Parts: sequence; C-alpha cells; structure tokens
Amino acid sequence: MVSTFHGIETAKRSLNTQTAALNTTGHNISNANTAGYSRQVVSMKASESMEAYGLNRSVVRGQMGTGVEFTAIERVRQTFLDDQYRNESSSQGGWDIRYDTLNKLETIMNEPSDTGIRKVMDNFWDAWSDLSQDPQDVTNRKIVKETTLALTDAMNQASKQLDALSSDLTSNVTLKTTEMNSLLQSVADLNGNIYKLEQIGDNPNDLRDQRDYAIDQLSKLANVQVTQLDNGYQVTVAGQVAVAGTEVTAITAAGLEAAYQGGTLTGGEVYGMILSRDKYVADYKSQMDQLANTLANGNIEITLPAGTVLPEGTVLNSGANNTAVTYSNANNNRTLTADLKVTVQGINGLHQLGYTLSGTTPQKGGAFFTSKDGAAITAGNITLNKDIQDDPNKISSSLRVDGTGTANEKVTVGNNALALTMANLKNVKFGFNTTQAQTTTVDDFFSSIVGQLGVQTKEAERQSQNAQLLTEQVDMNRQSVSGVSLDEEMSNMIKFQHAYSAASRFMTTFDQLLDKLINGTGRVGL
Amino acid sequence: MPIRVTSGMTNMQLLSNLNRNNNNMGKMENQISTGRKLNKPSDDPVGVTYALRYRAELASNEQYKTNSDAAVSWLDFTDTTMQQAGDVMKRLKELTVQASSETLPQSALDSIKLEVDQLKEQMMNIGNSQLRGKYVFNGQNYDQAPYQLSATVTSYDQINPDQGAVSYAIGDQDAFRVNTSGSDFFGKSTDADNVFKVMDALSTALTSGNSTAISSQLSSIESRFTKMQTSLSEVGARTNRVELVQARLDDRNLNLTTLQAKTEDADVASLMIQATSAQTIYEAALKSSAKIMQPSLMDFMS
Repeated sequence: MVSTFHGIETAKRSLNTQTAALNTTGHNISNANTAGYSRQVVSMKASESMEAYGLNRSVVRGQMGTGVEFTAIERVRQTFLDDQYRNESSSQGGWDIRYDTLNKLETIMNEPSDTGIRKVMDNFWDAWSDLSQDPQDVTNRKIVKETTLALTDAMNQASKQLDALSSDLTSNVTLKTTEMNSLLQSVADLNGNIYKLEQIGDNPNDLRDQRDYAIDQLSKLANVQVTQLDNGYQVTVAGQVAVAGTEVTAITAAGLEAAYQGGTLTGGEVYGMILSRDKYVADYKSQMDQLANTLANGNIEITLPAGTVLPEGTVLNSGANNTAVTYSNANNNRTLTADLKVTVQGINGLHQLGYTLSGTTPQKGGAFFTSKDGAAITAGNITLNKDIQDDPNKISSSLRVDGTGTANEKVTVGNNALALTMANLKNVKFGFNTTQAQTTTVDDFFSSIVGQLGVQTKEAERQSQNAQLLTEQVDMNRQSVSGVSLDEEMSNMIKFQHAYSAASRFMTTFDQLLDKLINGTGRVGL
Repeated sequence: MPIRVTSGMTNMQLLSNLNRNNNNMGKMENQISTGRKLNKPSDDPVGVTYALRYRAELASNEQYKTNSDAAVSWLDFTDTTMQQAGDVMKRLKELTVQASSETLPQSALDSIKLEVDQLKEQMMNIGNSQLRGKYVFNGQNYDQAPYQLSATVTSYDQINPDQGAVSYAIGDQDAFRVNTSGSDFFGKSTDADNVFKVMDALSTALTSGNSTAISSQLSSIESRFTKMQTSLSEVGARTNRVELVQARLDDRNLNLTTLQAKTEDADVASLMIQATSAQTIYEAALKSSAKIMQPSLMDFMS
C-alpha cells in the first residue's frame, strides 16, 4: 500500500532535484569563462521504489515509483586528455623558450647586416690592403688600428651579450622555481581540502578543477606526472616527487640542474632555459671564442716571398718535413733566396715575422692581438696589443731590411709583403679547434656559425608552432568534453524549468485530489 | 566520437587562426618595408650563408678596385716620367750627332756641353720623381731619393736604385708589380750604357773636344734609348693588364650585386599580391567570425 500523501512526496523530490539541476546549470553558466573549469552535471536517478521484497509484501502487481533523486553532482572530465595536454604543454614550453633564446641569439649575431661582425672583419682585411698600398703612411696605420679595435670591440660585445643571455636564463630558472613551488603548495593545500571533503562524502568538484588547473600550469614549466593516491594527487616534477598528499618537497634551481644533467627534466620552460643556456648559448660563445683565438693564434700556412729578411733568431717550421729551422745571420739563412712556405701561429705569429716602423734600428713586431686579462685569448677579452694602440708605427708591414751588420740594418719601408700577406689571410685557411685539424677560412667559419644558427632557429620555430598546434588540439578535445556550452546550458535550463513547472503542476493536481477527498467526500451526518 | 562544440572552443580556434593570419601578414609586411626577404638567419639559413659570402666577396672586390686604381695612377705617372726621359734622350742624341761633326769649333762644343749638363740634371730629376711622396724609381726604398750624392757616392752612375717590387693586390692571385726600378730604366752602375755614365763621358769628351769619343757615345745612347723604350712599353702593357682587371672587377661587382639581390631582396610585386590576398583572408575571417560569434540560443528565447 502506498500512503495517501505519496504523490506529494514524489512531487517534492522532483522539485528538489530539478532545482539542484537548475542551480548547477547556473553554476556552469557563471563559470563559462573560468580557466580550468569543467562543466558539472547532476546525475539523477529514479528513487528506490516502494515494496522491497519482504514478508509483508503486498500482493498488488507492479512497483510504485517514488520519484527522482540526485545521486551526485559530477564534473565531466577525462583524465586521459589531461595527461595528453600536460605532455604537449611541457613540450611547447620547452620549444617556446628555445625558439625565444635562438631568436635573441640571432639578434646578437645581427647577420646579414652592414653592422655585424662579418662587416668589421671585411673592414679589417681591407684596412690591411690599404696599408699595403702605402705602408709608411701613418693614416693607413691608424685605420688598421681603428678597424682592429672595431673588430675586437664587436667580438667583446657579442661575447658580453652572450654572457648576459646566459645569466638571464639562469636567473629565470630561479624565478620559475619560485613559481613552481607556489603552484606545488596550492596543489598540496587542495589535496588536503579535497581529502577532508571526501571523507564526509562530498564531491568537491571546483577544488578538483583548481587542482588540475594548477597542474596544467605546472606542466608548462616542467614535465610533471600525476598519480591519484588515496590522500590526493602525488605530483612528480622532473622525476622527483614534489607533492605527496599535503607534503611538499620544494624544488630548487640546483635540483632542476641536477635533473637536467640526469636526464629526468625533459620538458617545460625550465628545461628549455637550461638547455638553451648549456647547448645554444654556450656553444655559440665557444665558437666565438674559437674564432677570436684562431684569428690570433690558429695555424696558417703562408708563403714568404723571396727577398724576405727574417728577424734574427726566428724559428719556423719549414722545409719538406716541416721541422723547426732557426733563421739567423750565424746560419746565413736570414735572407730567403726563394719563396718559402711556412706554418705560423695566426695573425700574431705572422705579425712577429715582420718589422715595424718604430725606432731607428729594425724592430720585430710584437703580438698583434692580446687578451685584456692576460688569460688565453677569447672573444670576450681579445684586444689589439696596447703597444700598437699607443703607437700605430708598431704595426709591422715590412719583411725586409737593408744594410749589412745588425747595427747598420734599416727597415725597407716600401716593402709591403707582410701587409699584403695579412690582407690575403681573408682567403687563407686557419686551423680551427684545439687540434687545429679543422681548416677553413675565417669568413667560412663565421658563415657556418650563422648558418647553423639559422637552421636551429628555423627548426625551433617549426617545433614551437607544431607544439602549439598540438597543445591547442588536445585542449580543444578537453574543451569538447569539459567546456561549458552556453547553448547547451540554455536548453538544459528550459528542460529543467519545464520539469520543475510540471512537478509543481503535479503537486497542485494531487492537492486538488486530496482536497476533493478530504473536503468533498464523507459529509455523512451533516 | 561525437564532438561537442562550445563557445570557448570556437573562440580559441578563431583566435589562433586570426593570430596565424596576422603573423603571416606581419612577416610579409616586414619583408615589404625592408625590401629584403632575408632579415635574420632563420629566414633562409642556406640563403644567408650565400648572402654572407656575396657580401664578403663584394667587400674584397671593392678593395681590389681601389688597389687597381692606385696601380693605374702609379703606372700612368711612370709612363709620363718615362716619356720625359725619352725626350731627354732624343735631345741628347741630337746634340751628340751635332757635336760629332768635326767642323764645330770648341766654343760650340762648350755650349753643347752646357746643355748636356742641363740634360743630366733633368734626367736626375726624372730619376727622383715622386708620386704622393714616393720615389717611384727606387724600388722598395721609395722613402729615399735614389739619385743623391754624398761623401761616398760622388757620381750618379755609381748608384744602383733598389730593385724590389712594389706590389698591389688587385685580385685573389699573386700581387701585381707596379714599379720599375731605376736600375732597369737608367741602368745599373755596372752597365756600360748607364745613362749617367754616358752623359758624364759625353761631357768629358765635349770639354776636351774629342770628336771620336763623342761619336762613340752614340751607340750607348742608342742602346739605352732602346732599353728605355722597352721599359716604357712594359709599363704600357701592365697598364693594359690592370685595365683589363678593372673591367673584370666591374663585371664581377655587377654579378655579385645581382646574386646578392636575388638572394637577399624581396620580390616586392609578388609580395604585395600575397599580402593583399592575406589581408583579404584575414578580413574575411574577421567578418565571418563576427557573424558566427553573435547568435546564440539566447537570441531566440523569449
């Protein structure tokens, strides 16, 4: 038997449930633009019908429904898509930073342009060529001095910019660490709150959204992995457990560096930063250093023309088996009778074979390039020898002296053999890298640096665009599942509104029914 | 899988498409406004390495042109001075022929001697000619005048000007020699036909009225004159060579500039068309999205 007022109870449940659904619709609409929000649905279920099996079961056929109830308000979300999104987002973060860094490197290299290093290098060779026309002319000497300083300045400047870029990247890693730790802390806090609410049987959808959103943001910074444990998410950042329940293990810049070295940091902006710094910036810096050092000291093979008088005591590797030969008056071989192919150590080595115009007796040239700090020459410290800066006559241009006996010797001013050889170094292959095995011209070496940079940047641009497309694609899939569609909410709203109205109507009907029963019947005895 | 489309998705899609269109347009506009399709290495890594090579080659080409201009001016100057020397030689020959006639009285020989002495002065001056401060006949010692007398050097015929080559780089090959040594042109101290030796001998013969000695100088004058003419024509030949090189450098300059332009310069006409079409697409996207974005169920609910 059902009770007399059964219908009212049914109508009431209906009203309650439809109101809940309407409220949820309202909540969805309000959060249509909330980042990380996933739509919520009220799962309704017909409530337990009357007449469970038992001894006092009535014999009436059919089960009487008792209306509706909602079992839960759930968010619509697919964890699988979350994982996908986070992977893509990490990859995008990494490539974005790499592209960004390479872009900055392109600006530092500043090629092709009329103001880059290649241009000052051209000017440098041209200045020597001009000097070869008029070796005794002090104007030409000053031009060689100035163009050399322009060249070394350009190298110093590039090196400084690379250093600045490198330290920027390092300090950005530290900044990002702070950001990550604050995100990790909020994940841990949310873990705690969610756990408490779950214990009392609640379904804290919005907190979960916030937690997932925090991890989405985290995934842009580094590769993260999430495992659902009983007491909440366990978050692994770059292979290290950073959050377990409410416990946070703070991330440090040093820890991230170690993770990068260990190969567990594999994505995200922080990965991009460390990689850009250690791979790209360091590589270009070392190539610039190599360029500067080779220019000054790299092995080059040159031909000294017949008639050259080498400075007393010069030791050169020459001859068929490239052995060291001392050129001196005592050996009677200072004056070359035929062209001689020798290997010298860069511009510095060549410069020391010639005579300067300074002093009354012939003076052998000194080192052309020196380092500002006395260490080995790099792009950062290369500069023109201070002596030459003070007195451009200390540039050697001549390979010949006249007069016999050391005391009577006089520099042949019009001999421009050294200046000519120097200007022609543009086309001479230098021994690059430590083993000097790689021989190429300075121009080609520099072109190869620029070409490599171009290829890497193009690749990073492509990858970064791809990663963005993929991230968007996965996000779109997520949105397709979890996003709030206003049209849908509107139609739901109408649906729930009508259900609510109908339920009220049902209650009114029942009310009238009972009214008839109570007030219109059984008037016996009146 | 049946896909739900939400307004957020439409938004996202739309924004990313608009961004891409905008980006494309930005790139094209940058190319149009700079007139260059290569602005950074990643625009075309291979093209950039070519561009760098062309630029470097253009720079050295320009330098070779400067050097060859200097070479031409040196050669032209040498040519002029050599012709002057040739004129002196012609006069010397005339005088010698005149003086070798036995009928001339000593007074006439004396005045011829005076003129010969003047010619020697003149020849010495030619030997000491300077171009922009350089003594062109003194080889690599061009900072010193070759024909100078001193306590140890008492006559010009003892002088051997330096024979070193003054060379200019006018191409990637070996340097090009521009100078002619005074030893080759006026004669070494050991040469019997050293121009100063001949003049001194003539002068002595004129003073003593020795007509045999006078006429015996004729052959030396002749042989020196021939050598001078040879030097002169060598200078002419070298001038021709430099001029050929100059023409080649000009051609090469044009070639390199064309290649550089092909590699670096933007094809503005085609870019403009592309940019216009990109703009049309962009505007169409904006228009259609404005239409799509507007309607929602709300518009049709009362």
